[in-house]
Amino acid sequence: MAAGERSTKEKLLSALSDMEVLSRELIEMLALSRTQKLPQPGEDTQVLELLVQRDKEFQELMQTAVEQGRIHQEMQQLEKEAEKRDSDIQLLQKQLKEAEHILATAVYQAKEKLKSIEKARKGSISSEEIIKYAHRISASNAVCAPLNWVPGDPRRPYPTDLEMRSGMLGHMSNLPTNGVNGHLPGDALAAGRLPDVLTPQYPWQSDVSMGMLPPHHGNDFGLEPPGHNKENEDDVEAMSTDSSSSSSDSD
Amino acid sequence: MSEDSQLKMASAVAVVEETEDYSFLPLIHDIIKCMDKENQDVHQELNRLRARIQEAREQISAMPGIDASPSAQQQRLQTLRDQVRTKNQLLHKYKGLCMFDIPKPS
Repeated sequence: MAAGERSTKEKLLSALSDMEVLSRELIEMLALSRTQKLPQPGEDTQVLELLVQRDKEFQELMQTAVEQGRIHQEMQQLEKEAEKRDSDIQLLQKQLKEAEHILATAVYQAKEKLKSIEKARKGSISSEEIIKYAHRISASNAVCAPLNWVPGDPRRPYPTDLEMRSGMLGHMSNLPTNGVNGHLPGDALAAGRLPDVLTPQYPWQSDVSMGMLPPHHGNDFGLEPPGHNKENEDDVEAMSTDSSSSSSDSD
Repeated sequence: MSEDSQLKMASAVAVVEETEDYSFLPLIHDIIKCMDKENQDVHQELNRLRARIQEAREQISAMPGIDASPSAQQQRLQTLRDQVRTKNQLLHKYKGLCMFDIPKPS
């Protein structure tokens, strides 16, 4: 608003006050002239002209005020529209932020994948070699028992002592790898290469020497391998029970 | 009051009445006529004028959007229009920006 420029409301109230004063003055003047019978030519006309002028101004101001009311309504609509646009922009900004986050994650994952692809390319191994290795580790029954395995079979359905020693765990424990050179435990046991403390007693051996054990004695082994836990214990017990039942079946 | 004054006022009232409803001149004219005729209704007419003025004051106080001058209001209106236009342009720009082409399923 320009400095010194009065609002329409102030102008209207001012014009109204002027009209009130002028009309009162005119009426008093007329009443006085009537009672005193003294004509005052010119003066009442001046007041009347002023009154007409102020009335005209008042009407113009009222028209302006009505027009300003319409503009005010339009401004309110514009303000509402601006608020709606603001909320739209904020929503869009939020969506763009989310998209940026998703894209950044995707780019990071893609870069990681490219790195691993590059790493795999550098140390590539032929599929034939992998298949050969698979044959080799499965040939010694290190990963799976043979199909025709029966109690007493020296082929063990788990890694041999030598394989355990040459594996990662063996290296971590610094176990010597040349202590035992037998591939099969039966061979090692037969040759007496294992120390007594490492000599396991198997259910089928117990079966032979001590007869059938009750299931709760199935874990009564001479060898407790490192890392022996409840799960292993359960497995051994199940194996013992199976072997016992097998033995009884065979009997 | 002289004849020409009355004539002038009557013509002014007529002109005003054609265009506006906010004029006080008809009421003042009625009061003067009552005074000329020495009618006892003059007090009633005076009260009507007083009530009308008070009513006009209340009406002015309740009118919306007249707290500023017309030029200031126009300036504010223009600013608001510019704001809305700018925000619309921004929205239009951002919505049409970096649109990914989704491949159609073959």
